[in-house]
Formats: sequence, C-alpha cells, structure tokens
Amino acid sequence: MGVFDRLPPMDHLRSEKMCFVQLIMPAESARLAVTYLGELGLVQFKDLNEDKSPFQRIFVNQVKRCAEMTRKLRFFSDQINKAGVKSSVRPALQPDIDLEELEAKLGEHEHDLLEMNTNSEKLLQTYNELLEFKLVLSKAGGILASSHNHATPPERELDEHIYNKEMDDGNAYLLEEGVHLGTTDNSGVKFVSGIILKSKALAFERMLFRATRGNMFFNQAPAGEPVTDPISGEEVEKTVFVVFFSGDQAKAKILKICNSFGASCYPVPEEMVKQRQFFREVSARLSDLEVTLDAGIQHRNKALESVGSQLWRWTIMVKKEKAVYDTLNMLNFDVTKKCLVGEGWCPIFAISQIKDVLQRATLHSNSQVGIIFHEMDTIDSPPTYFRTDKFTNAFQEIVDAYGIARYEEANPAVYSVITFPFLFAVMFGDWGHGICLLLGAFVLILREKKLSSQKLGSFMEMAFGGRYVILLMALFSIYCGLIDAHTAGLIKVRDPYPFGVDPSWRGSRSELPFLNSLKMKMSILMGVSQMNLGIVLSYFDAKFHGNALDIRYQFIPQMIFLNSLFGYLALLILIKWCSGSKADLYHVMIYMFLDPAGDLGENQLFWGQKELQILLLLMAIVAVPWMLFPKPFILRKLHKERFQGHTYRFLGTSEMDPDSEPDSARSRHDNFNFTEVFVHQMIHSIEFVLGAVSNTASYLRLWALSLAHSELSTVFYEKLLLLAWGYDSLVVKLVGFIVFAFATAFILLMMESLSAFLHALRLHWVEFMSKFYHGDGYKFKPFSFALLADDED
Amino acid sequence: MGFLVTTLIFLLSGGVASLLSLLCCNRGPSTNLFHLTLVITATVCCWMMWAIVYLAQLKPLINPILSGE
Repeated sequence: MGVFDRLPPMDHLRSEKMCFVQLIMPAESARLAVTYLGELGLVQFKDLNEDKSPFQRIFVNQVKRCAEMTRKLRFFSDQINKAGVKSSVRPALQPDIDLEELEAKLGEHEHDLLEMNTNSEKLLQTYNELLEFKLVLSKAGGILASSHNHATPPERELDEHIYNKEMDDGNAYLLEEGVHLGTTDNSGVKFVSGIILKSKALAFERMLFRATRGNMFFNQAPAGEPVTDPISGEEVEKTVFVVFFSGDQAKAKILKICNSFGASCYPVPEEMVKQRQFFREVSARLSDLEVTLDAGIQHRNKALESVGSQLWRWTIMVKKEKAVYDTLNMLNFDVTKKCLVGEGWCPIFAISQIKDVLQRATLHSNSQVGIIFHEMDTIDSPPTYFRTDKFTNAFQEIVDAYGIARYEEANPAVYSVITFPFLFAVMFGDWGHGICLLLGAFVLILREKKLSSQKLGSFMEMAFGGRYVILLMALFSIYCGLIDAHTAGLIKVRDPYPFGVDPSWRGSRSELPFLNSLKMKMSILMGVSQMNLGIVLSYFDAKFHGNALDIRYQFIPQMIFLNSLFGYLALLILIKWCSGSKADLYHVMIYMFLDPAGDLGENQLFWGQKELQILLLLMAIVAVPWMLFPKPFILRKLHKERFQGHTYRFLGTSEMDPDSEPDSARSRHDNFNFTEVFVHQMIHSIEFVLGAVSNTASYLRLWALSLAHSELSTVFYEKLLLLAWGYDSLVVKLVGFIVFAFATAFILLMMESLSAFLHALRLHWVEFMSKFYHGDGYKFKPFSFALLADDED
Repeated sequence: MGFLVTTLIFLLSGGVASLLSLLCCNRGPSTNLFHLTLVITATVCCWMMWAIVYLAQLKPLINPILSGE
C-alpha cells in the first residue's frame, strides 16, 4: 500500500480544499469589491442576515431601485415585442453609463413611451369614431333616401304613413292605442341615427318599441364590413340604424336607451346635400388623422428601436447590480458602522487571485483603507467543489444527481467515466447501432461551439450536455458488439474465433442456452468486480480521513463477507470454464449453506473443495458480528475519554475565547447517543449483508437487457426486412425497409438506449455507490455573474 | 492465439495508450494520474469482457447444433 502514498493526489478524486474566510471592507470600496468578486466567481458568501426579512436589510432601497428598473426594462421589451420592432444590437460603441444615469434615462424613456401610447390611443379612438360616423352617414343616407322616396307629403300625413308602413304584424294592434302625437311644431317626425352592435340590435329594437309604445319606426342596415369599436378596440359586426319618432319625450327615452345599449348616435342631416358635405368633411378629417397616426407610430417605433439596441446591455447591467446588492445584503455592518463584514467559503487555490482582485477594488475606489481578508476556523462543513471541464462535467452531474459528495470524499465519477459507458455497452452491445450513436455524438461534438450559444429544447439540451457520454457509450458499444458478434441483426461478421463469440453459434438451436449461460456468468463476474472496487474505495476513504476504526471494523469484515460468498462463486465460475466440468453451480452454492459437510459428488470442481467451503462459510458467519458490534462500543469508549478531557479543560480555563469553542460544538460532543449509533450500525450491516445477495442478483440485468436487445434486433431483421425483401414487388420492399428503419430508430436506438442508460445508472447509484459513498454534502455555489446568466436561462 | 498471448497484447496496448495520454495531454501530475486511471480502467474493462467470452468457449459443454440443413 506504500506505493499509493507516494503518488500525487488525483484530480477529481476528492473535492477541492476549501477555507472559510472573513472579509472586512470599508463601506466605500464594498460595492466595487463585491462586483469584482462576482466577475471572478470563486467566493461563496454566507448569509449573515438570514433571520432578517428582506425589508430589514441594509441595502433594501437599492434593491428596490433595481427591481423598479427591471420592471421598466421588461415593459420596454414587451412594448418592443408588441410593436414588432426588430432592433440591431449594436456593439458597445456607447460608453459605460453609471447606474444613476441609467435610472434617470429609463424613467425618461418610460414616461415618453407612456405619453406616446396614450396619445396614439386617443387618436385611434377618434379615428374609429369618425369611421363609424362615415359609415352611418352612408348607410343612414340610404335609409333616409328610401324613406323620402315614398311621396313627401306634409308632416302630418307623414304620421299616417308611419303607421301604414309595413311593420311587424305584432305592432298592428297598437295602432288603435293611438298615442296622441301633438301636432305642435316640435312634433314633426324626427329621427335618430346611429350604430350598434349587431348582436344587440334585436333587443334594442324591442326595447325601443316598448318604451315608445310602438310609436316609432326602426330601420336598420348592416354595416357590411367589421368595424373597429372605438371603445373596446376590437373588430365587431355592427348595424346602422335609424329610428323615426316624434315628440321630445320619445327622444329623451330613445337617447337614454341608446346609451344603455352602448349604441353611438351620430347626427345625420336630412338633406342629401348636407349629407354629402358632411361626408366630404369627415373623409378629409379621416385622412388627416391617418397621417397623424402613422407619424405617431413611426416616432414611437424609432424610440423603441433606440431603446431596443441598448436593452440587452442595460438588462445585464441591472441584473448584475441587483445581484451585487443582494450579496451586500448578506454582509453585516461592524461596530463602528464604517465597515462591512462578510464571511464565506473559497477554494484554497484561489486565495491569491482573490487578494489581487480586492487590491484592485481598493485602488479603483480610491479608498484609504485596504480590504482585510483572512482565514477563519469554523465548525461548518465546507461545500464540495469539483473543477470540471467540458468532458468530465457530464459524468460529475450524473453522480451529483444521486447526491453531492461529502467534503473530501472519494468521487465515484472518476471510475464512472469508464464503467458507466462500459455497462451501458454490455447491455446495448451492437456495433451497427453503436455506429449510429457514434455518428450522432460526432455531430454534436463537431458543432459544439455553435450549439452551445444557441437556446436548445429541453431534450436536445440534455443530449448536447451528454455528448461525451454518448461518445464513450458508442465506442464501448462497438467494441462489445464486435465481441458478441451482434451486428444490428444484419451482417454475420467473419470474426476470427479467438476474438469474440464463434460465429458458428449463430443460427444454431443451442445458441440461446449457450449465450444465456455465458451472459449470466459474465454479469456475476462484473458485478463482483465492481462491488469489490466500491469496498476498496471505502478503504481509501477511511485511510484518507485517518479512520482506523472504519478500516478494522468495517472494511475488513465487509471484504471477507462479500468475497467468501460471491468472490468464491466467481472463482467457481472461472474454474468451471477452465476445466470444462459439468458441475452445477446453483447446487454447489445452495448446498454450501444447507449441507456444508455433505459429499459433493459430481459437483466437485477441485480437490479440497468441501473443506474450503466450510472454512469460507465460517468466515462469512464470523464477519457479520464483526461488522455489527465492535464499532459502537469503541465509539462510546472514545467519546467518554474525550468528554472526560473536556470537563477538565473547562475548569482550567474559564475565560476561554468564545470563538474557539462555539456552543454548537460543545453540544455536539455532549450528544453521543449510544442507542442511535448502535441502531445506525445495525442498519448499515444488515443493509450490507442482505445487499450482498440482492446486489449480486441485480447485476443479472446486464444479461437480461443484452438478451432483449439481441432478440429485438433479430426479430426486426428477420420478420421485417427479410420478409419484405422476399417479395418481388418494389413497393413492398420499400415499405418494408421504411418500417424497418423506423422501428430500428425509435425502438432500438432510442428506447433501448434510454433503457440501457437507466439500468447502467441504477447499477452505479445503488450497487456501486452504496458501498462507500455518503453523498450528503452541498455544492459550492459561488457568487458569480456567469452563473447568474446561466440561472436566468 | 492463446489466452496469455492476447492478455499480453491487451497489457501492451494499455501501456501504449497510457504513454500516449502522458505525452499528448501532459497537464500536471494530478491530472496525469487521473488520465492514467481512466486508461487503466478502460483497458481492464475491455480485457475482462474479452477474457470472459474467451474462457466461456474454452471447453464448451454444449456444441452448436445446427438446425437441420
């Protein structure tokens, strides 16, 4: 084991060393310092004001201002989208502007924009009203003209005409009512013309009829085209109406009813000449208004364009400022109220960079006092930080999805980089499909730069993020496929027998039993190897943390238990293969437990097997209490010793520095609950013992999925392609080929690879990582502008 | 070709791959160790796959029974 000590520490195996730091910044350089730290992105600030509400914090006003500015910027972007203005993002020709200037500018722009909007709304309303008026003029003119066509007797006779005109039959009986229409000069036949929603016209007419007790004549003409309602702004079907009536009371009633139904009345003169004059005036005004409206829209669009070209920059600026103030809110004012004190985590390798940055901030803010930056001790556990590049990032995320590694714990990602694609390939192993995956991975990798700047859909994003995973999966699939001589069910490759499965197996009746036996044994062998790797990693973890207790009372009994049972099974498999014996391994294993002293007979694989089996069984039985009992008792003893030491220390130094032994640490030492520790250890041991059996069996899914894949490929090949190819017709061949291609692409490539991916993932997460991984850490989230941009997306 | 010979071939190719990785992407001792671990793991996995399939066919218990031609 000495050779492992002399090796340098491996990248990625353990998380970066972190240290807890304290920053003391004078108030004038604080903002600049935090901004520069945000650009550097390597410090995670601790929120010292957790218990305060957002309104009690120091910089609440600034945050409010930033929120206001964000709202204004969003308003602008909404307006730009509504107007459909496309603005070119001009490169940073404009100088950087200050935040206060930006605020003032934004306020100005917003005010202007709102004004322009209200003005154009008013103009639009007037425009629509005039349009309606024009319509009413033309249609009502028609109605009036037709009414005048009937002979124009003096006014009194007109009354009779009204009564005699064709009206609804229902109105007839009211004629006898004979409302007395005064024949004073006011009671000439008058009319009201206007426009109303088509849907309301019928109700309107009935209402008018009831109100005037039948003494009115309602004539209507549809407007023909949809009209934009001035009030609601929507396009609706309207009807132009003319109501003939006499008497002032009737007029008042009619006008009130018009009001309540939302009909707009427009004064239409009786004489044709005047009508035409009105018409001309209205048209003229309309064209004027159009010109004005257009000019208004142009003006607004220009303003929006100028805003739009800067919008992106401004948004980022405001976002950054808000983030800076949110971070500043996490700091505390110190006693003198002149400095801000902050605490946080940073990786040790970044300390010099941070010091540089802070010096720069002091310089740029013309502050007299420098920023103090020093390390502190703390009992909190540090966050976990892995410096991943684009290749290892995907694998690290796969591991992190199960649980973030504890600080300085062995990182399974180091081995998963290879074993995960490998186990995938064992289940997927097919070099034809592997080549398809390879092509897909190449496409994604070669267009890396272009695709990383685009916004992709959620599925594409996952595929793009995992492009290196897919690449490795494809390479291993091709290798495993060659070994298994599986080739998308298509071509029988003439592989030389020393490499891979002898092709003479193909198509034979005993192919399946042979392959099943091979693959089941292969799964067991791979499973036992991976689990052993996991336990060995737990050894290295214990050694790194100097935890001899774990080595003696956990690692050793676990190794003994697993290997005396399942390691022995693996050994039997190898011996059976090498010797060609006909021993039944199921029988051997089961009777090892049921009847260890019994005679093996035909199942004897080597000399001394019975004695060895008894020995291994005894070792396994001994290992179980070995991993269960000693550790809790020893921990209790150790704790008692520590506790004794504590009480003495307390009596000795009463004026202890309150920082060095905080309350929480003291209480932690006191709270050693033996029952809890014992139960925990028991759960851990039972999990391991039972898990040894279930996990080994779980690896048989490697066999199951590879069988499924090969059978599916064969079925699709034989039943679809060959069958279709058998016919003479070209159409059938084409259809058959298309169906084969679709089935291959969707079922085999997509569904099977997702399935193999999932099962390989499960094997890693449960069977491999449960042997050594705790995964209860928390991720390092530095204050960084780059991460902010990612978050927003 | 024999089991041992092919195992030796795997060993040699693993060694060549590690040397290549050391030469091409030499980025500090800890990163080199990481790359070495990856190469060794890959070699071991590939060898294991081949060895299992080879050993299983060494002394087969059943022979391919061709469906009667």
